Amino acid sequence: MKGDVTHNTLLRRIAGMGGAVRFALVWLGLLATVAAWAPLLANSLPLWVERADGRWAFPLFAQFTAEDVAWWVGWWSAVVLLRWRRISAARRLVIGLGVVALTWGIASALLKPSPLVVYDAWRQAERAGEVRHALWAPIPYSPKDYLRDYGVTALEPPLAAIPERWHWLGTDDQGGDVASRMIHASRIALSIGFIATGVALVIGVTIGAAMGYFAGWIDLIGMRLVEIFEAVPTLFLLLTFVAFFERSLPLMMVIIGLTAWPGYARYTRAEFLRLRGIEFVQGAIASGLPMRSVLFRHMLPNAVAPLAVAAAFGVASAILAEATLSFLGLGLVDEPSWGQMLNQAVKSAAFNWWLALFPGGAILMTVLAYNLLGEALRDALDPRLERNGR
Amino acid sequence: MVGYLLRRLLWLVPTLLGITVVVFVVMAAAPGGISAATLVEGQNLEPEAKQALTEYYNRLYGLDQPLTVQYLRWLNHISPLGWESDESGALTGWPTFKTPDLGVSFRYGRPVADLLAERVPVTVLLNLLSAPIIYLGAIAIGVAAAARRGSRFDHLSSLLLLVLWSAPPMLVGVLLIGFFASAEYWHWFPTGGLSTREALDAPFWPVTPSFGAWLLLFVLPLATTGLFVAAARRSKRAGLRHPVVAGLVGLAVGLLLVRVTVPILAPGFLFDRIWHLILPVVTLSYGGIAFLAKLTRASLLEHLAADFTRTARAKGVPEQVVLWRHVFRNSLLPLITVAASLLPSLIAGSVIVETLFSIDGMGRLAVEAVQTRDRELVLSLTLISGLLTLIGYLVADIAYAVADPRVRYEG
Repeated sequence: MKGDVTHNTLLRRIAGMGGAVRFALVWLGLLATVAAWAPLLANSLPLWVERADGRWAFPLFAQFTAEDVAWWVGWWSAVVLLRWRRISAARRLVIGLGVVALTWGIASALLKPSPLVVYDAWRQAERAGEVRHALWAPIPYSPKDYLRDYGVTALEPPLAAIPERWHWLGTDDQGGDVASRMIHASRIALSIGFIATGVALVIGVTIGAAMGYFAGWIDLIGMRLVEIFEAVPTLFLLLTFVAFFERSLPLMMVIIGLTAWPGYARYTRAEFLRLRGIEFVQGAIASGLPMRSVLFRHMLPNAVAPLAVAAAFGVASAILAEATLSFLGLGLVDEPSWGQMLNQAVKSAAFNWWLALFPGGAILMTVLAYNLLGEALRDALDPRLERNGR
Repeated sequence: MVGYLLRRLLWLVPTLLGITVVVFVVMAAAPGGISAATLVEGQNLEPEAKQALTEYYNRLYGLDQPLTVQYLRWLNHISPLGWESDESGALTGWPTFKTPDLGVSFRYGRPVADLLAERVPVTVLLNLLSAPIIYLGAIAIGVAAAARRGSRFDHLSSLLLLVLWSAPPMLVGVLLIGFFASAEYWHWFPTGGLSTREALDAPFWPVTPSFGAWLLLFVLPLATTGLFVAAARRSKRAGLRHPVVAGLVGLAVGLLLVRVTVPILAPGFLFDRIWHLILPVVTLSYGGIAFLAKLTRASLLEHLAADFTRTARAKGVPEQVVLWRHVFRNSLLPLITVAASLLPSLIAGSVIVETLFSIDGMGRLAVEAVQTRDRELVLSLTLISGLLTLIGYLVADIAYAVADPRVRYEG
């Protein structure tokens, strides 16, 4: 039994906590898979084409971007690293991030997709009989393919009987395929959740650690800063940021992160204030270790529990923040986003239920999954609660 | 306590200033920022008129001056103690007490104070309606779930609360509009706004042909509600004994009876307003109910297992008294702590709700203000919502001390 306890990693302990948590992990895994394989799942360009003269072409792969490659490699490295239990979780995380960053760098140097994609080129070619065989993606429409070659295609309900076309989840107000847009939008939701929370964690932990470790007047000034940022209504600040700066994905991640740090700073400060008086920290200081070692190697690992719980809930609220901004028409321009699709559901005179249900449902499920994960983490990391729960 | 409150009130000022500095810096740091040129840009004007307008804006808002001067100038305008400025914008004489001036909106060309006086009460109305609904609903559900822990109601409500807590207000609002307000499905509620045009001129109360009919409007729902509650209290079957549920059913029956029997000539202002407010208030409050009910349940469970509860039961205190006077009273503290963060989340929620239901409140004004880069308006809105948030924190602190005599703020 003793061996069992020590070898039970956090992830396995959480996964064993019940159906709700398992649902959360399965849904997030599914979402990550869909996001990583998005270009192969939904694309207007065929994977493989045999022209009438017998020559082959791979239009979809020719249009692969560095982002696509990084997502794909990231997915594979996640699969491998999750099974490779020899090294610590933190080290695996670092390796995974390194691999993704490296592939991104190499791929963006090597790959040169043309900036202009004619989405209907191969459809037209197939119609004209210039193509002998073609292998299409399961959903043969790109997210930004507004099906101009079919005439007006806007706001068709799901599974409508239309010759030549088949839209599982209908079309949006521009005529784009909703299923395809939803698949590609999962990338934005996932990456915003993670990176915005990462940014918030870095800022919050740094400020909180300084406040907790030095205490005194640094703590006093820091807490006023935290109070100020907590009192600014987050959505107002986000709106101001987004409206005044250009709309781009990296900027949006940083902005959402910039408005979310005070909570993490508070938790880190509280833990550090507690830890600084304890012997092992005093010992680390007395033995002349450099400050960065005392702060981040000796103190931070002991303050991780409340941060991990807060971060799980933080990812949920970051995803919700992006959806809200997109819903208010202040999101990314032209990029597919769940919130933006939800906005279209009641924009026209009619109620387009499929634009409410599917994107809204996706936001709900993702936020729910992270909230469940946060609760499970809290229960797993707080032994007092676990005892009460039994 | 008084000393503590005074200290907190004094801290309000620097915190509020900090908030406006943050927002001002964000606006100023943006590429392009705010200058007379960006304001004039896009308007189809003669070059001379453009030049004149640029100069006008510069004189009015001091946009050609350094950023620090611009901020201090704004600060001087809004503070009750400061310098008066003359025609050319120069400061005169000694600082005196004056009426705070929030400036003129770039976009509306009207004083910001007038705009706020129109819009803020709408948002405050929405929030004031939602807050008690959130607390009453959450406490009712949370206490019921904790009292019957492990029952089917507990499991079902836990699941439902979890889903509701995660449901984005955009989705719920869109679904409510889509199903309950659109002409395609059930057209029970209006799709937006706060009043129909006719109701603004109508009398406050509903108009009926006779005074007797008017009285019936109120007597019937009250009578049926009372009847149902009384019947529920007398009922022998456990499933029918819940007075709150019975009361709500009775109210619904009464309203239905009114609808059928009483001839109503005009709904009147009040009922029209309520009819318009139902969907927005539901959208604004369900998330809070879900979150707080979970919290209530957890907090109650903790105290249900406490030693003092066992003592109370052992000495023969009735279960209802144990639940409400011993356990609930002690479980209040986390609920009060959360009240502080309820107000900011309600303000954020009203941005979504007001946009969705086309209600002209503060939240919608904020979206318009940032979209049109209306600096004076954005700053004033930040100031107001920051003030409301801080007042929320303060009220929570006071409530904390009232609810728990052990809480002391001295020293």
